Amino acid sequence: MHHIFKLMAAIALLFTAAPAFAEAQVGQAAPAFTATDIDGNTVSLESLKGKTVVLEWSNHLCPFVMKHYETGNMQKTQQAAMDQGVTWITIVSSAEGRQGHVSAEEAKKIAEDAGAHYSHKILDESGEIGQAYGAKTTPHMFVINPEGTLVYAGAIDDNPSPRHETVEGAKNYVLAALDDLAAGKAVEIATSQPYGCAVKYNY
Amino acid sequence: MNFRLFLTAFFFCLSLIPAAMAQESASPLVKVRLLPEYSRIEPGQEFWVGIEQSIAPHWHTYWRNPGDSGSAPRIHWNLPEGFEMSEIYWPTPDKIPYPPLLNYGYSDHVILLQKLRAPETLPDEALTLKADVEILVCKDECIPEFSTHTLQLNDPAGMSEDNASYIKSALARLPENTDQSVSITEKDGQLIVTKSLADGETYSDAELASFEYFPQDWGLVDNTKDAAASIKDGALVITQPRGDRSLGALKQSHGLLAYTNENGARNALDFTAAHEGTGPLMLSAETMPEDGQETDISMFLQAALFALLGGLVLNLMPCVFPVLSIKALSLVKIAEKHPEMARRHGLAYTAGVVLSFLFIAGILIALKAGGAGIGWGFQLQNPIIVALLAYILFLVGLKLSGYFEISGHFGQVGNALTQGGGLKGSFFTGVLATLVATPCTAPFMALAIGYALTQSALVSLSVFAALGFGLALPYLALSFAPALQSRLPKPGAWMQTFQQFLAFPMFASAVWLVWVLGQQVGPLGMMGVLFGMVAIAFGLWLLNHLPEKGLGRFILKALVVLSFLAPIGLIPAGTPPEMSDASFSSAPIKDQFGQAYSPESLSALLAEDDPVFVEMTAAWCITCKVNHAVAINTRSTKAAFAEHNVKYVVGDWTNYDEEITKFLNSYGRDGVPIYVYYGARDAQTGERPQAQILPQILTPETIKKAIREAS
Repeated sequence: MHHIFKLMAAIALLFTAAPAFAEAQVGQAAPAFTATDIDGNTVSLESLKGKTVVLEWSNHLCPFVMKHYETGNMQKTQQAAMDQGVTWITIVSSAEGRQGHVSAEEAKKIAEDAGAHYSHKILDESGEIGQAYGAKTTPHMFVINPEGTLVYAGAIDDNPSPRHETVEGAKNYVLAALDDLAAGKAVEIATSQPYGCAVKYNY
Repeated sequence: MNFRLFLTAFFFCLSLIPAAMAQESASPLVKVRLLPEYSRIEPGQEFWVGIEQSIAPHWHTYWRNPGDSGSAPRIHWNLPEGFEMSEIYWPTPDKIPYPPLLNYGYSDHVILLQKLRAPETLPDEALTLKADVEILVCKDECIPEFSTHTLQLNDPAGMSEDNASYIKSALARLPENTDQSVSITEKDGQLIVTKSLADGETYSDAELASFEYFPQDWGLVDNTKDAAASIKDGALVITQPRGDRSLGALKQSHGLLAYTNENGARNALDFTAAHEGTGPLMLSAETMPEDGQETDISMFLQAALFALLGGLVLNLMPCVFPVLSIKALSLVKIAEKHPEMARRHGLAYTAGVVLSFLFIAGILIALKAGGAGIGWGFQLQNPIIVALLAYILFLVGLKLSGYFEISGHFGQVGNALTQGGGLKGSFFTGVLATLVATPCTAPFMALAIGYALTQSALVSLSVFAALGFGLALPYLALSFAPALQSRLPKPGAWMQTFQQFLAFPMFASAVWLVWVLGQQVGPLGMMGVLFGMVAIAFGLWLLNHLPEKGLGRFILKALVVLSFLAPIGLIPAGTPPEMSDASFSSAPIKDQFGQAYSPESLSALLAEDDPVFVEMTAAWCITCKVNHAVAINTRSTKAAFAEHNVKYVVGDWTNYDEEITKFLNSYGRDGVPIYVYYGARDAQTGERPQAQILPQILTPETIKKAIREAS
């Protein structure tokens, strides 16, 4: 019975998933979403108009996520962003039964252990938000300006090595984009190739 | 043999020790092995090192562009002093779907290659080469593996190891470099890769269906979508839905085209594609904004205007001018008495020119549609046509100089072609003007013709008609405007003298065509045509000295016919345009200081760092010859080339040459000359600046300016 459901779901996905994986385009309105975060608050992008928003795709078991958390790079970036009044949303799109899928309680504990900072953390186990944005890797970063336009999509920095020591000296694209926004300039590097583990979607 | 096995095993174990230290997992998912082509090397020797990955079942590692996720392996070498290491040569990857994503990478087993060069002096002791290897390996989850490996070379205690055959099998899995010109562009949400086909390069439907495109740059295509391949206009065209990265900043892009051949083997072509959108192609359709009809029409008008101006300029060419002068003079005679008649002559002449242009363009379009790699000026790539033109110019010259004044069959032909009383005469003067004008592709024409031939047949023909109209315009205006006619000198005895004088430009043009022929078919064929001219002159003389009657008249008449037929027989036959590899064909560039163009030589030069200047020329192209003499083959330009290390490449399009046609087409041109300057590679970015197309009226200053601006 379970298998039949899976099969039906797969067939349904064949028809729906392809258009659903429409990638968000830099320079255009960021796809709207509404979700409940792990603390039970309702988050909607619409209600965040007027604020700069950073989306971070995460999977705590992915070595590239570990690289940026174990070196403290991600926490530093989060702190710097939130100090500027940026809303930081960490999103986990791992599907049930796949790597990185966690309960709200586990997610809280993971964040606490890592010393992570976030405004909201969303468990997107259906992959709906991830696929609307075309989130491909963990980490995959998106920056949305106060008008709701996507202004950066790509990697966190310019060094795709899994080696922890490569964090040092790498150019942090997210902080650069936030600096450009703060200076009232167009974001200079608006896209880059995201690197890391594939997002473990429900497929 | 056993010892070699032992040695390999030994190295393998050696490689595992540091790996185990760096990686907690005792058995790595990717077993890495370094294999030198030779374990004993000479000073200065180049040799390959294979980096072999044995990947655990169901796991994969990544290509240089990992696709939607992942990360390419990295190898950091620690080499003894003086050793140089190339970048990694990557075997053709596979598409590895990971829904809804897709990666480019390898499963099971792969060998990356790097080329090493030993310094000119080597110590007498063993050399140790160390490599830190970092590889991301993924299945559902991803694991980065780090390992350190060492290679011992020239170890006096070790045995000589030869992995040449192993390396050779790895080299066979690398994609081939293609020398064909490749371009990329985007249209309607598709990335379009266009690769011109080499001689004899064909693909079956099954092969086309198997094509995969692997861009080295991220974000060009939607990785999850399939590529579609087709053959169109002599080119392989690959389309794939676009990715989310803007193409704007990209000047060129490397990539692979992989396919499975009829024998089930996988082949791949490695290429560097110029991004058309950034090229300086004024009239290239791709560079124009996309809002449809309006721009198309303005482009068309622009091209037509260029064509018209080009046609006007053609009137001044040495081979065209005499023909027209005669027409103009005869017009004066007519116009005095019959202005209406003069107008009709003007129209007949215009019809002759325009229709001949349409005729030649029609043939060209039809041939191109049939896949022939030819371009404007192709008429003169055929020695038979060049020989016939030379005869015609010679005949016209003889007629002008008053060598023959006859009535009768042959005389009328000559008459019709030049002075012609009837409207037919004017029409054929137009045809003649067109024929002799084609080699002098004037400066304004190249872009217009290049544009015309990329458009629909109707647009093409309209542009050619505009060109013909431009050529006919001065005479047409003259025939319609009595005010202009009155400005012409009054007819008189001087006309005779002037006419005789005009024979000399005709003879000069004929000599030039014979020289062109010499380039095409060599001295022997050239002599044939020269004898043909003697026969023509003899036949004409004989015709004027025929006895009144009798057998003698009959025999001599036969002789006349013979001497007019002989020149045709003397036209060098059996010299198909494909003879471009014959030794004569390179003659015109032998006396130049550049190196001969071939796609291979150009891509080899472009792969290096120095600036490159490419000239495409042809013996029959006057503009080319003038430019070469005044702007290129000068002391100051040579000095500038030497000073900036400019590599000078010359392509000779005198004969049919598909490679050169492709080069011309890749810059939106369809004829010679073209001058392209590729600036030196930037030491910091490693990129070359955008290639510059220099104007068709070339001065030493333009060349120096291009060199200055690019450096």
